[in-house]
Amino acid sequence: MDEKQVVDYTKYRLKPESEIIKMLKEVSQLQVLLCEKCYKKFEEDFEPECLELREIISRSGTTLLKCTSIPFLCNNYLTGNILERIRNDNCTVGVVSCGIGIQYVAGVIKGGKKVLALADTVSQSGNATSISGYHGIALGEEKCAACGQCWLEITGGICPVINCAKSLLNGPCGGADKNGMCEVNPEKKCAWIEIFERLEKSKRKISGSIKTINHDIFGPYEREKISLLSRERRKEGFYGGVHPEERKEDTAGLAIAVFPAPEKVCLFLSQHAGLPAKPLVRAGDFVKAGQKIAESSGFISAPVHSSVSGKVLSVTEQVHPVTGQLSPAVIIENDGRDERDFSVEPLAGWESLEPLKLLDYIREKGIVGMGGAMFPSAVKLFPPRPVDTLLINGCECEPCLNGDNRLMVEHPVEIIKGAEVAKKLLCAGKILFCIEENKKEAVEALRSSMQISTDMNVVELKTKYPQGAEKMLIKRVLERSVPDGKLPFDVGAVVLNVGTAYAICRAVCEGMPLFERIVTVSGDVVTRRGNFLMKIGTPFSHIAGKCLASGADIGKHDIKMGGPMMGILQKNTDSAVIKGTTGILFLEKSPVEVSESRDCIKCGRCVDVCPMELYPHYYAYYGKKGLWGKCVEYGVNKCIECGCCQYICSSKIDLVGYIKKAKRYADNQA
Amino acid sequence: MLITKLKKRQELLNMIERKTVFVFKCFGCSEVFFPEEDIDGFIRENSAVIAGVARIDYLCNEEFTKSYLNSFDRGIKESERIVVFSCGVGVQVVAKLLENKRVLPGCDTHYLKGFQGITSQDADCEQCGSCYLNMTGGICPLTACAKGLLNGPCGGANEKGKCEVNPEIDCGWILIYNRLKDMKEEKIMAGTDVKIRDYSLITGEKTEKK
Repeated sequence: MDEKQVVDYTKYRLKPESEIIKMLKEVSQLQVLLCEKCYKKFEEDFEPECLELREIISRSGTTLLKCTSIPFLCNNYLTGNILERIRNDNCTVGVVSCGIGIQYVAGVIKGGKKVLALADTVSQSGNATSISGYHGIALGEEKCAACGQCWLEITGGICPVINCAKSLLNGPCGGADKNGMCEVNPEKKCAWIEIFERLEKSKRKISGSIKTINHDIFGPYEREKISLLSRERRKEGFYGGVHPEERKEDTAGLAIAVFPAPEKVCLFLSQHAGLPAKPLVRAGDFVKAGQKIAESSGFISAPVHSSVSGKVLSVTEQVHPVTGQLSPAVIIENDGRDERDFSVEPLAGWESLEPLKLLDYIREKGIVGMGGAMFPSAVKLFPPRPVDTLLINGCECEPCLNGDNRLMVEHPVEIIKGAEVAKKLLCAGKILFCIEENKKEAVEALRSSMQISTDMNVVELKTKYPQGAEKMLIKRVLERSVPDGKLPFDVGAVVLNVGTAYAICRAVCEGMPLFERIVTVSGDVVTRRGNFLMKIGTPFSHIAGKCLASGADIGKHDIKMGGPMMGILQKNTDSAVIKGTTGILFLEKSPVEVSESRDCIKCGRCVDVCPMELYPHYYAYYGKKGLWGKCVEYGVNKCIECGCCQYICSSKIDLVGYIKKAKRYADNQA
Repeated sequence: MLITKLKKRQELLNMIERKTVFVFKCFGCSEVFFPEEDIDGFIRENSAVIAGVARIDYLCNEEFTKSYLNSFDRGIKESERIVVFSCGVGVQVVAKLLENKRVLPGCDTHYLKGFQGITSQDADCEQCGSCYLNMTGGICPLTACAKGLLNGPCGGANEKGKCEVNPEIDCGWILIYNRLKDMKEEKIMAGTDVKIRDYSLITGEKTEKK
């Protein structure tokens, strides 16, 4: 890329040595907070200014207790905790940052402790008093003076205000010289001449009238309000998150339809968190729908059941949709008769069954978390610690997907029944159905099917991605934070997806093992969108054949399993639907491919949106250098791979890719 | 930081003149506060004349915007007006890339405090080049002053400690005094450390790196 554009946007510099030494005269112990700055390219790990400062401090005779560098110091939500600790230390605090950071630290550490400003801020931004306009991530030359009255429609897209040496709209000016240069700065072309030239080129004329700038059209209180609003919005419910385009309207109104069964199904033996299941069938065997074809191989594991009746063609290896690597699978030819296995029949008297037996029954039916993580439900429903609340997760915060939504609209009674079974097993006090407010129909359906009481209720949540993640949901609904390395039951909560609740109900009431699920098929290039009841093991090529226009070239599109945010790109169309498949999306390839990504400019947007309160830009920085250990230091294991950082990245960096690699490295180390 | 505010409906409609319109919506940047709901409302109301909507993050990134434009080729070709909902930077980038089209700004851009860093803050920085926060208990007198002045000329605060110009804001120096009093450091104010502001510090030559 053009090197000229990667400017080091340092916005502050150390104060002169004499001033710092004078300042430190009466200070015996000093602790320094350094902001790692924003809007600049990464430099060496250690900023030269820090070294310089260390030298100055050692010359001054003051003891430097600690030098902490904090990325994006002014992010008060993340910095607050660090400052809380420092507040109790007995020392003076020196801050190297822009004026905002210093004021923020001084505001937090007030009461007795002195905060020293060790740096001067120099003008770089489009501040009213500064000379150069610089906004957003614009590294180019376009600037905006934020005058509040945009004239660009009249001026052919060239701003006369920011390009004027005096920042004036239209005078008082002594006029440009013969070459069209500014009277004040002879190296700069007069903006109005540039405007005239651009308009003339496309045979246009300056139309409309330009009035004098009104400097008083937007009051400071309105600004204040908006300023606070934007911060509040970021902290709403849980920190960070994004609001991607929902695009749910494509399939929201489409009732669940039975998807035509494929000729062959491919059932992976690893369709759950934990150890893969052990196959019970061999090539040539005849199986019926619902027959167990693989046995769970440990506590955290789950059995697999056939989704069709027919002949087992082979027990082979196929590309797994999640890992992208070859993984054992059973291929079964569908005879089309859909004969049910004898085991598929209602469990008589389940209401009075012992909890442990009921749990075993659910385990036997192969039920796993259907939101995507595929954690065996029987394990989740047997927590080692008492649980007070069961959250039924109907957020479905991923764009495009509607499977959970339709399930709640069409089968509220079954979901409630399933939730009640789970509640009984957990001995939980109450059930809360958590639904995002963009699914009004689902909220209504559930509300009208239940007896609302203190034990059971529907919670409507303001839409925000990734609200459906367990930790975020618990934080939002119960205001409890799940500590690092802990699980939801540690804070007395269990989260189940609505799909899982439905599957539990069907297992108990109908004896149905988990061999079919609701899958949303959607995307730009799909001609037959919908929410389908699909056999597990349906190959993606079969779905493409039924849902894309005939003659469509799959190779030209991206196939994603899951939603657009967390969905996993599929390279192999022989891969198939598994228990955690929430949707299959056929999308246009992105115009800006990952390979075109730029270097990180530390805009900080990823830090701003990371719901786990991490610093994702470091994963790209260290990942690029292959320093995976550093990524682990920055908590890559806490990442939930929600994709917010990648979605918002101004340089289009494949952050999730780096994160996955770093996690794999961490796993190998462990 | 910036705020973008939707232009007045009538003003926008006058600019569009019932011609076919292609819309660019910028999002993502944390420097700008976008009026997303207002924009969506406007698009819904005028969907009859809108040939297409492109929702692109960081319009100001010219290189990326250029690659996106290709995928909206047809919509752009059909339209006689391009309306860009973004800060002034985005409008200028699109205008540069589509020189032959009439590119209209859908928003007015306003200055918002908290210009750098990653979020809008209560604190603002004037970038004066000579930080006074040491003497002022960490409260900036410049940004707290209605006139943006360090220490006058000022008619004085009123009895409630409010600014003479804007009676709704607190006088910065009174806030400073109160904070210093809490810290038992009021004597700082009796000193002469606060000097007259040197405006030459914010001119081009001196902001170059040392």
